[in-house]
Amino acid sequence: MSIITITPSTHKPAPAPKLLVSRDCGPSGCAVDWLASKRVEADLDIEEFNRFAYEKGWGDGLPLIPPTEGRVRKFLAENDRYPDEIIALLPPSNADCTVEKIVINAVMAGAPTGSLELIIAAVQAVADPDFELYGVNTTTAPVFPAFVVNGPIRQALDIPFSYGCFGGAVTSAAAIGRAIRLIMRNVAGQVAGVTSQTTFGSPGRISGILLGEWEEKSPWLPLAERRVGALGNAVTCFGAMGTMNILDTTSQKPDHFLEMIGKSLVFPGGNCFSPSMPFGEVMVAINPICAEILAKDMPDIADVQERLWHHASVDAEWLQGLHRDQLQAQGRIRADGRIYLTPEPKDILLFVAGGLGGLHACAMHTFGSSLAQTRAISGVGVGAG
Amino acid sequence: MALGKVLDPTASNDHDDPSPGPDAGHLVGKRIGFRIDQIWRSWDWIADIWAEKLREMGAEVSFWRSCGRSGAEGETMNAELKAWLGTIDMAIVGLANCGSCTGWTIRDAIASANSGIATVAVATKNFEEFAHVMAARGGRSGLRVHVLPYPLNECERADVDRVASDYFNGLLQVIGARQMAQMSAA
Repeated sequence: MSIITITPSTHKPAPAPKLLVSRDCGPSGCAVDWLASKRVEADLDIEEFNRFAYEKGWGDGLPLIPPTEGRVRKFLAENDRYPDEIIALLPPSNADCTVEKIVINAVMAGAPTGSLELIIAAVQAVADPDFELYGVNTTTAPVFPAFVVNGPIRQALDIPFSYGCFGGAVTSAAAIGRAIRLIMRNVAGQVAGVTSQTTFGSPGRISGILLGEWEEKSPWLPLAERRVGALGNAVTCFGAMGTMNILDTTSQKPDHFLEMIGKSLVFPGGNCFSPSMPFGEVMVAINPICAEILAKDMPDIADVQERLWHHASVDAEWLQGLHRDQLQAQGRIRADGRIYLTPEPKDILLFVAGGLGGLHACAMHTFGSSLAQTRAISGVGVGAG
Repeated sequence: MALGKVLDPTASNDHDDPSPGPDAGHLVGKRIGFRIDQIWRSWDWIADIWAEKLREMGAEVSFWRSCGRSGAEGETMNAELKAWLGTIDMAIVGLANCGSCTGWTIRDAIASANSGIATVAVATKNFEEFAHVMAARGGRSGLRVHVLPYPLNECERADVDRVASDYFNGLLQVIGARQMAQMSAA
């Protein structure tokens, strides 16, 4: 065996068509009922409903907004989607993820009505076979989809890309991320200890990670444009094992920063070094201050990836013997005696985000077989919520 | 109390074939395939020992190793699996010994069972229930699952070899294999 490079599959599912008019008649409904979900009687008192939803297993333990017909219809009416439109089949349940189910879960999470197209694009992205959602949702690992958003929808939905963008900023991104997590639970069927064997789980499995790229501060093209040529609104999903902070208070020159980041990225327990995974990517958020310094030397971000990649490797002799033997048998130790974090430099995915205090980079390590996916976001709904 | 109606946020796929699929029957001349992986060395060792025993019983044995399941690599794997299933009469699919690897073991076992050949998935005890859940979610609730002790991959070679010997007859029972002595008596 030898190094297996990361190449997208050729059979891509067709994106769901964007339709022009809603079949819904607004909050009061109409003669034809397009909503197919079972109606369940519940006490709508907020505390009683949350006890009810908890017992039903509909939520994550945090308060939910009751998905009444009125709320669901209002959400639909402010968008241009048919409720019965199937967006994807989500494993492990392989159930139909319809617009209606997305909206019900978005209502429960408190997501703004204007986020529907972003959520749909995110669902389409994770449903791509190359994202390997089947493994992501069943594994013993803590992995969860993290999302990086490009385009003006960041400002429209108040998605953070500066201070506290990975968590802690006051933003609707938490509710949007939580809506996607509820879809994973209620539609994909991911339940810890039942269909998910996750040993520890992750705080990211509650409201996810959903942040923007600070395109206006980036010296390079936006992430989605670099990846698939998507201009404007787009979302990139990445199977993240969590966040890893990398502090650097001493470097001066571009290669100093890259050496610090690269060496920090490699640790033997990372899935990129697992014999169970033939390959893996890694995603790194570079703060705007560092990005500016790097770009003076490297206006082409491919050069940043190349130099970072060389630093992100370990001497195979450093690994525990059984681990090394298994990787050796897979042909993953290169001629220089080292094992590299990713098959190629392009597999280190970089974007610019974070506050202007600089000093830190933020990495997300991969599950492995889950490959990042980018989707353009259809025109935002009529609601501006 | 303020009773009202809410919309059910859940979805499910209720399709199911509860059949375990055909029995293996007699093994002489049968082409038996082992689906192995790239993570569990203990499963490689057990598959080797079982393969030898099956050869002694008159079967032909082949192996197929599952590697990456995404990207172009994943497409290659899927094509290889489909082609390999066309060359065997019975599949022994493992190893369900973690979350994603149980998922993929069961998914490949379902592909095998759906191709119409005798199929058994192999799981360690800790992942037995999960294997059945995933089989049901995949639409084959009756999929045969043979269970090995847990933990397994943490054991020394000699201990794993002993497991292979101790659990071989159980494998034959789960897959519905008939040995020569049984055939003579029948």
